[in-house]
Amino acid sequence: MRHYDQATFSEDDSPVYERLLSEKFGTEVAVEDTPLPDELTRDTLELPAPAEPELSRHYVRLSQQNYAVETGPYPLGSCTMKYNPPFTEDVAADPSGMVHPDRSAESVQGNLELLYQLQEYLAEIGGMADVTLQPPAGAAGEFTGNRIAAAYHEAHDEGHRSEVVVPDTAHGTNPASAAMAGYDVVEIPSGEDGRVDLEALEAAVGEDTALFMLTNPNTLGLFERDIEEIAEVVHEAGGLVYYDGANLNALLGRARPGDMGYDIMHYNVHKTFATPHGGGGPGAGPVGVVDELTDFLPNPQVDKQGEDFELVEPEQTIGKVHDFKGNWLVLIKAMAYIARLGDSGLCDTSASAVLNANYLAEQIDLEIPFDPFHHEFVASAGDLDASNMAKRMLDFGVHPPTTKWPEIVSQALMTEPTEAESKQSLDQLADAFNGAFNAGDEELSSAPHRTTARRIDQADAARNPRLSWHALDDE
Amino acid sequence: MSRSPFAPNAEADESAMLDAVGVSDVEELFDIPEKDRFDGEFDIEARSEPEVKALVSDMLAENDDLTEFMGRGYYDHYVPSVVDRLSMRSEFLTSYTQYQPEVTQGFLQALFEYQSILVELTGLPVANASMYDTASGLAEAALLASRIRQADGTVVLIPDYVRGDRVSVLENYIAGHDIQIERFATDDGTAGLDALEAAIDDETLMVYVESPTTRGTIEEHLEAIGDFAHDHDAMFTVGSDPVAMAILEAPGDLGADVVVGEAVLGMPNAYGMGLGIFATRDDYLRHVPGRLIGIGDDQDGNRAFTLTLQTREQHIRRERATSNICTNQAWVALRMAMHASQLGPDGLTDLATEMVELPRQLAGELDELPGIEAPVHDRHHFREFVARTDEPAESIVDELESAGFAVQAVDEHELQFTVTETNQHAIPDLVAAVEEVVA
Amino acid sequence: MSFDIPDNLYYTESHEWVDPETGKIGLTDFAQDELGDIVFVEFPGVGDHLETDSELGVVESIKAVSDVYSPVSGAVTDVNETLEGEPELLNEDPYGDGWLVELDLDSTDEVEALLTPDEYETHL
Repeated sequence: MRHYDQATFSEDDSPVYERLLSEKFGTEVAVEDTPLPDELTRDTLELPAPAEPELSRHYVRLSQQNYAVETGPYPLGSCTMKYNPPFTEDVAADPSGMVHPDRSAESVQGNLELLYQLQEYLAEIGGMADVTLQPPAGAAGEFTGNRIAAAYHEAHDEGHRSEVVVPDTAHGTNPASAAMAGYDVVEIPSGEDGRVDLEALEAAVGEDTALFMLTNPNTLGLFERDIEEIAEVVHEAGGLVYYDGANLNALLGRARPGDMGYDIMHYNVHKTFATPHGGGGPGAGPVGVVDELTDFLPNPQVDKQGEDFELVEPEQTIGKVHDFKGNWLVLIKAMAYIARLGDSGLCDTSASAVLNANYLAEQIDLEIPFDPFHHEFVASAGDLDASNMAKRMLDFGVHPPTTKWPEIVSQALMTEPTEAESKQSLDQLADAFNGAFNAGDEELSSAPHRTTARRIDQADAARNPRLSWHALDDE
Repeated sequence: MSRSPFAPNAEADESAMLDAVGVSDVEELFDIPEKDRFDGEFDIEARSEPEVKALVSDMLAENDDLTEFMGRGYYDHYVPSVVDRLSMRSEFLTSYTQYQPEVTQGFLQALFEYQSILVELTGLPVANASMYDTASGLAEAALLASRIRQADGTVVLIPDYVRGDRVSVLENYIAGHDIQIERFATDDGTAGLDALEAAIDDETLMVYVESPTTRGTIEEHLEAIGDFAHDHDAMFTVGSDPVAMAILEAPGDLGADVVVGEAVLGMPNAYGMGLGIFATRDDYLRHVPGRLIGIGDDQDGNRAFTLTLQTREQHIRRERATSNICTNQAWVALRMAMHASQLGPDGLTDLATEMVELPRQLAGELDELPGIEAPVHDRHHFREFVARTDEPAESIVDELESAGFAVQAVDEHELQFTVTETNQHAIPDLVAAVEEVVA
Repeated sequence: MSFDIPDNLYYTESHEWVDPETGKIGLTDFAQDELGDIVFVEFPGVGDHLETDSELGVVESIKAVSDVYSPVSGAVTDVNETLEGEPELLNEDPYGDGWLVELDLDSTDEVEALLTPDEYETHL
C-alpha cells in the first residue's frame, strides 16, 4: 500500500511549519517626503521586505506544502479537478493579448476574434443560440442567468414572478445566486430514485415561478431521464429552465442542454475545459441562452460583421456583470483547450471520465446507493464519519472526495476521478478508500498523520477569528 | 474515435476496466435516452499543440500594437518575473479551494498573508480572500449594508465620476433588492460636499466615494464624507487600491466601513482580469462575503491555517448565504502578495510617489500645448488626469490611435491620460503626437 | 449513548427545553451533541415579544447553521450574552450556563403542553 509524506519543514525551536513573511521580514518605514500634503498621507507603512532570494524560498516552501492536481489524484465530486495542460499557459501569456479592456474594438481585433470563436464553440457545445463570456465564475454565471430570466419576464409583463425552484441536491450556489438576484427560493425534495420528482415539481411551479435550476447529470451522477417532461412542466407554468454546467463534462459530445429544453446555462470552464483552478480561482462562467433570450445578454457582445469583429449592445441588455471583460486569461485557456481537443477529443473526455468513475466505483468496498451514475458517484461511509474517512485518505497520498454532501446519501463521499487518472492511479485511489473504510476508530479519529499539519481545530479557529498577522501581535 | 491527449488510459487498461465494470463498450455506461442524444458534430477540428499556439498567436497578432495611456479603474504596473515564476508552480496553479487544510497549508498561508497585507493597507481588520473586481466588491458592500440595516434607508449615494460600467454592475446586483442608486455631483473632480449634504438624509443606506477617483483625483475630504454618512447611520464605503494606499492615509483610519478596489499589483494588463479587494470592520465579520482564512491550532499544537467562518458561505447557508461567490480570484491574490512583498514597503511607497509625480509631469507638458488644458481639475492626481481639448475628444482619440497611442475620451471635449512606470518612457513621443494632432 | 434530561424542565420535539419557573429556554444535551462544536449564537433583542414558533435565534457550529424557534410565547427579558464570547458553554453546560434566552412567559399552560422529561426521552 502506498503512503506518502507531505513536506513539513518545521523548525526545532518553533512549533510552526513555515514562519510568516511578517515574522521573518516585517519592516516598518516612515512615509515622508511624498509630493502630497502631509494631511493626506499615512505616517508609516509596515510590510514584509524580503530580498528576492528569500522571497523565492518562502514561496517555494509554501508550494511544497500544497496538494495539487499535479501532486496526485484530486477526486472532489462536482469540483472536477482535471489535468491542466501547460501549453494553455503559454498561449495565454502571449503579450499581444495583454491590452487594456477599454481599447477600441478596431484596435483589438485579435482579442475579439478569440472571444467570438469561443462564443461560437460554446454555443455549439451547449446547443445554445449565443453565449456571453463576461461572468467571472460559475456562480457569477448563475447570477447572470437569474438576471436574464428576470429581464425576460419583465419584458413580457410577468415581472411578478418571484420564485426560483431548485432540487434539494442543487449546488449551494444555485439558491444563493437566486437569492442574490432577489428571488425566493423553493426547494423540492428528490424522488426515491435520486432524480427530480415530477409530481413535486408540478406542485411547486406556478404563476410565481421564474426559473427552475437543474444540473444534468445531477449531483448523484444520474442523468435526469425525464428532462424533457421537466422542461415542459416548467415552461407550461411560464417559467424558464436553467442548466448548471457543473456536470457538462459528462455529456460532452453526447447530449446538449439546448436540445433537452434548457433555456439558459452556464459553463464552468475549469470543470469542462481544463483551465487551472489556481487554489480557488479565477474561473470563468460563460452563460449561453436560447434564441428568445439573446437580446437580454450582458453588454457588450462580440459580433462579426463581414471580416470585422465588433462590440455590440444587445437590445434589451441586462447591462454589465463585470467591471471590464471578465477573466480574459482564463477564457484564452478554455478556447485553446477546445481547439486542441476538437470534436473527437471532447467526446473522449466524457467517455474516459465516465469509465473512470465506474471503474473506481467497482474497486471500492463502500455502498453506492444510486446508479447508473456517469462521471461521478456518491458513496456512503456507512457507520463511519465521512470527514474522518477523508482525513485518513490524506495519509495515502490522495486528496479525498467531497464529504457529507449531498445529504440525500448518509455520510456521503462524492467522488469524481475525471478522465485525467490512469487505471494505476484509480487503483491507488481505491486502496485509499478501502484502507480508510476498513480502518479502526482510533486510526480514523487521529488522522491525518503524514500531512504538513495534523487535524486542525476548526471550532477554535471560528470562535477566536485570527484573520491577519495583526491579530497575532497579542499572542 | 481519437483520444484526448489528457486522458491517459491505454487501450489494454481500458479493456480491463470495461471488464471490471461489466460492459463491453463505454457507450453502455451512458444512461441517456435516445431522444436526448446529440448525433451531430461540433465541427471543431482537433489540432496539435503547435497548431493551437499558432492559431491563437495569429489571432492575437491582429491587435494593433499601441502604446496605451489608459486607466479609469484598470492599470498596468510592471510585474517582476519572480511573481510569474513562483505563482506558476503547479502546486499553486493546479490546486483547488482549500477544503482539506491539512494538505494545503501553503496556499492557505499565502492567502492569510494576502489578507494581512490588505489589513495593513486599508486600516481595516478584516480582509477577505478576494472578490472578482471592484464592481462586485462595491455591490457586495451595498448588499452588506442592506443586510445589516443599521440605517432605515435604501439609497446608495454615488458621485457622478464613478465608471459607468461599475454602476451598471451595481445596478444588476441590487435589482432584486429594495435598494436604489442616486448619483450626486462632483466638485472639480472630487465628491461635492455640498451636493452630498443636499442628497444625504435618513433614506441613505450607503455612501460610496473613491480615492483615487475614476478621474484620477485624490479625495481630500474622506473623513468629512464619512462623518456625513455616519451622522445618518449610513455605511461608508471607499474605493481605492493598494498602490495608492501605500502612501495615502488608510481609509479605515478615516472612517471607512468597507474598502473595495482593484488589487492592481500582481497582474499586468490582462484585458480587464484582476482582483477585487474587500476589507471591513470587525463588527461586520459575520456578514462578509467570500472566503476568509484564519488560524487554528492542529492536533500537535502547531499553528496552522484554515478556511474559517464558512457558515456564511453558499455551500452551507445556501439561499441565506452572505453571497453566492464560490470561485474567486485566489491565484491573483497569491500574486498580489508576492508582488507587494517583492516591492516591500520602501519599493511600494516609492512606486506610489512616482504615481503622483508622473501625471503631474505629463499634465504639465500637455498644458504647454495649444488646444489642450491639463489637468482639468485643480486637485492632486494619482496615475491619471483629465485634460480639456478644443477639438472633439473622439477625433483626437482616433488620430492618436493612427499615430500609435491609445487614450480615453471621457466627454465631448475631455481626454483622460494614465501614466505609470510601464509607459513613462513614451511620454515624449506621446506629447509630440498630441501636439501634432491638436495643432 | 445516553443524554442528560433534567426532571424540572419541559421539552420539544425539536430539542429545546423550557424552564417553567424561570422562563429560560435552551437547547438539550442531545441537540448540542448533534450540532457539534458551537461557534456562534445570535439572539433576539431584549424586549422583543416572541410568538410561538417564531425565530428565537441562530446557532452555528462549524459546518451547520440552525435556526431556533421559540416553543412558547413571551417577551424577551434577557439573553445569555456570555455565549457571545464563550459559545462552547452551550456544549459544556446546555441546561446551566449554556441557556439561550429568558422570557416573561405569556402563559404557563403553553409550557405544560410541551413534552415531559419522560415523553422527551421516548421521543429520542
